[in-house]
Amino acid sequence: MGQVLALAFVLLLFGLGTRGFFLSPKNLSTILSLAGIPLIICLAIHQVVLIGAMDLSTEGIISLCAVVAGFLIRNPFNALDLGFWTVPLVLALGAAAGSLNGLLNTKVRMPSFISTLGMWWVAQGVAVILGRGNAVKMLDPRFQPFTNGEVAGIPITMLLALGLGALLLVLQRSTRLGKFMYAIGGDEALARQAGIRVDRVKVLVFTLTGAIYGLAAILLISRLASSNPRAGNGLLFPAMTAVAVGGVSLSGGIGGAVNAVFGTLIVTALNNGMVLMKISPYVQNAVNGIVLIAAVALTLNRKKLGIIK
Amino acid sequence: MRAAWRIQPIHISLAMFLALVAGFTIGDPSFLSLYNAVTILNSVAILLAVGLGQVCVILTGGIDLSVGSIMSLVSVVFMMTLGPLGAWSYLAVLAIGTAAGFLNGLIVSRLRIPSFIATLGMQGVLVSVAYLLSAQPLSAPDTAYGILELVNGKLGPVQAVWLIAVAVFLVFYLMQRYTALGRTILYMGANERMSYLSGLPIDRARTLAFAFSGFGAAVAGIILSSTLYSGYPTIGAVYVLNSIAVVVVGGTAMTGGSGGVVNTLVGALIMGVINNGLTVVGIDVYAQQVFLGVLIIIAVAVTFDRKKVAIIK
Amino acid sequence: MRQSILEALAVGKSYPGVAALKGVDLAVYPNEILGLVGENGAGKSTLMKILIGLENPDSGEIRLRGARAELAGPAAAIRGGVGMVFQEGCLLPNLSIADNLFLCHEEGFRRWGLLSGRRQAAEAHRQLEAVGLPRLDPRTIVGELSASQKQMVEIARLLWLSRLYGVENPALILDEPTTVLQDNEVRILFDILSRLKEQASILFISHRLEEVLQLADRICVLKDGSVAAMLDRGQATTRGVARLMVGHELAEERCRESLQTAPGSEAVLEVEGLGLAGRFRDFHLRLARGEIVSLVGLLGSGKEEVCRCLSGSRKPDQGTILLEGRKMRFASPKDAIAAGIGCVPIDRRNEGLATSLDVASNINLLVLRRLSGGPLLSPRRERQNAGRWVEECLVKTPSLQTLCANLSGGNQQKVVIAKWLAAEVRVLILDHPTRGIDVGAKDEIYRRIRELAASGISLVIMCDTLEEDIGLAHRLVIMKDGRIVRDLACPRGAKPSPLDVIGDIV
Repeated sequence: MGQVLALAFVLLLFGLGTRGFFLSPKNLSTILSLAGIPLIICLAIHQVVLIGAMDLSTEGIISLCAVVAGFLIRNPFNALDLGFWTVPLVLALGAAAGSLNGLLNTKVRMPSFISTLGMWWVAQGVAVILGRGNAVKMLDPRFQPFTNGEVAGIPITMLLALGLGALLLVLQRSTRLGKFMYAIGGDEALARQAGIRVDRVKVLVFTLTGAIYGLAAILLISRLASSNPRAGNGLLFPAMTAVAVGGVSLSGGIGGAVNAVFGTLIVTALNNGMVLMKISPYVQNAVNGIVLIAAVALTLNRKKLGIIK
Repeated sequence: MRAAWRIQPIHISLAMFLALVAGFTIGDPSFLSLYNAVTILNSVAILLAVGLGQVCVILTGGIDLSVGSIMSLVSVVFMMTLGPLGAWSYLAVLAIGTAAGFLNGLIVSRLRIPSFIATLGMQGVLVSVAYLLSAQPLSAPDTAYGILELVNGKLGPVQAVWLIAVAVFLVFYLMQRYTALGRTILYMGANERMSYLSGLPIDRARTLAFAFSGFGAAVAGIILSSTLYSGYPTIGAVYVLNSIAVVVVGGTAMTGGSGGVVNTLVGALIMGVINNGLTVVGIDVYAQQVFLGVLIIIAVAVTFDRKKVAIIK
Repeated sequence: MRQSILEALAVGKSYPGVAALKGVDLAVYPNEILGLVGENGAGKSTLMKILIGLENPDSGEIRLRGARAELAGPAAAIRGGVGMVFQEGCLLPNLSIADNLFLCHEEGFRRWGLLSGRRQAAEAHRQLEAVGLPRLDPRTIVGELSASQKQMVEIARLLWLSRLYGVENPALILDEPTTVLQDNEVRILFDILSRLKEQASILFISHRLEEVLQLADRICVLKDGSVAAMLDRGQATTRGVARLMVGHELAEERCRESLQTAPGSEAVLEVEGLGLAGRFRDFHLRLARGEIVSLVGLLGSGKEEVCRCLSGSRKPDQGTILLEGRKMRFASPKDAIAAGIGCVPIDRRNEGLATSLDVASNINLLVLRRLSGGPLLSPRRERQNAGRWVEECLVKTPSLQTLCANLSGGNQQKVVIAKWLAAEVRVLILDHPTRGIDVGAKDEIYRRIRELAASGISLVIMCDTLEEDIGLAHRLVIMKDGRIVRDLACPRGAKPSPLDVIGDIV
């Protein structure tokens, strides 16, 4: 409920600030197309937050998947031309990286924010090594128009994102796995005691998140018809902000796919509005930072976290 | 009564350091040359400064993701104030860095926000401020070259940078071992609940730990921008992970309460050797990143005190 | 002869330093309510843990419906027809009632991989009806329920699970269910339990004897780890049961009574009208120099909260605390410590010490400022201070640098006490000072307590057994349900017997 109000507030604020231009169909459509890929990433991360963990490896895994995808699709550097078969392969790569995150957390028993921090670095490094620092043009002409296209006025990336959101919503509300995720996020010790295979669920969630990162990577590179090893740069911060602003509590167990959608829309609209009002990009960064802190401050269940470190 | 002898992480770190030096020398004998040693020590100075700041926060059980942005902001402001303020710029930017850290500390201890979110947010704000001050890289004005000799100069064979590093190390060492603040930082990391019940001023200690982190980052920023004669808003970005690596590889546990300043010194030496050695031996810069990522994971996996944390999230 | 559904035969269990259970025989028959009573430390919770499979007995066995059972844990226990409703509750607060009821057992509601919310809600509604909550919406989030409703949901879950596993007449263990309930909710609970007797047996643990006598068909009294008596409903009276609960063998000169010195006359601590909403009210205390006062009471008496207010970890709603005539307001433990009140907590490993730090660090923790020579700490003074207190408190440690994790429980306790003595407190609160400590070390703690009092420190203590409380204290303050009910002198040589006192406690 708070999120709907926040969105309305942002729309109103910038609607007034730009004398209505902000709310024009053209701009709203722009917002939707801007929000597509960030929403997909936010949907990926929010699941990890839901079970009470953290994933900082987003940028690394996306960069890695982008580089690999760039070499699998027809490109100037090798003879591979896998076309749409790239998609399942890259999803599998992302899933594998994600599962590694999960295993480090459950088997080696490392806190997720350290293991994913290290994974970020490792994946990014591998991406740069593989990519040799170059941008790779995408020679297959089918990808770009698909990603940049529209259906009934709605950008395809947004449609994909909403479709993914719907799938995850069903997962969260109507499957055993979803209930287990909420249980673990709510109270991991009790969930374990109730008989839930906590480790298994955690690895699954990280794996699914990784696969979604792969999807985001493919969409990212096909939008520009070119892949590069820094494709993931700067994607973590807005996604985390969207997760927090949407109301997915960092303590776990609260929120869901709908929150991710609202959070992304609010953050995208906020940034779009700031651009329209010609606010310097550096101030925008600062605003995002403050919004993140404020959103977390408001949604955090401090009693559950016990000691804030 | 004599101290009981037990293997501590620092012994492992020292062993690792010796093994690395040996390994790299075998790989390429020029590793052990005087010139290379000087290069290594120069980079160690920066790593040490930022690592010492980071370890204060990590000892309390938190983490400071804003150290890189503090370094960047300091570098930009430093270049800007060298002209008008001359040698006073040193003090000005030290104050700014410490103030930024202090602000971090307040957000964590008063607003009760987990440190990694608070510092993640702050780094965004600080980088923005740096960009607002100067979107383009700033160069040191020619008139300032003399002032920068404080960092770039030499005293006989000894680089000024090393003296600065030693001085900073002493400051942190004295603080950690011999002041009530340093002890409180250590004790609250070891057992915060007990520290609270024993009346230790944990909120104040936490805030000051972040302030010290800002101070360390500011020193690192000064050294870095002095040696490069320039400052820009992304100059410190890579040092966030580097500072964590320095702390962790040195044997300080991320759970807090064990390890400390001496461990960080060893960690800085190791990281300096690794960064340099990998380049000397011919491994490219990007592979180094992978290596470091793996190293961090291993170091944390080994030092993490699992008994202290019932549930690993 | 009826077949028992759950039985403990000669069950014994020991932990380091203490024998928790010694040959307990207990049988639960179908369609009955069995009450289990006993003092703190009598072995009730250990027995429950064994019955539910959280612990394994060292000797003896558990039988389910006559067959020997090795329970691997609560999940296995429920399959065998034994379920427990824990005091803290096991429901996930962010899930709905229906989700909690069927957690991990959702197969029956699945269609093509998806769970039917409607069918779950319908089935949940049926379960809630059976436990007297027909109007509760199964989609309510558990976090929003009252304590009484949560309990009923847990009972409903256990009943549903046993039906799922095809178990007739499951055994439900309820651990102090009435502690969190209001009076009218207690009546409702008892109504429902009486009705549930037709389909289940109930093992009901409580310290409120009147309630147990009201509800139970049979009563089992545990004392010192074994069954002191097994009574039928008609045979039991409150006084009779209370007498059976206490009365341990008194070893000679326990608690070093001969060392008890008379307290001074001036008041060190004066507490008036202290109250904390929902926990206790109208608490008065006048503590003289060198006096030992023991707070006695069972669960819900409020004594632990009194100590927390005195030591600064909780703020009282009303009343005043005067330390040597000066009014005190404690915003946190820091203020209380600065004023001279210290507290040795019950959980010394987690709240009293940092086990990963060495002995010297732990002892010097509170006095760091004093150990400075100038702005910096003086290692020499640190060593001296730590060394002095280690000697005085007879801490057995290989060196000052030994980690506290490597000390025995008794020595850890001495380190904690040393820490407070080094801080020169005037009032020291001891929360179960001999818990988890073997007999030999206990004696040393008793001596130390005597020495503390003799040296002028006033003590507020809460002990594991009534004997200890009476034996150590100059005065006994008995609390029940949040209020003081009696203030009793325990002079040397004329100590009251536990039997005189137990009547006021229960």
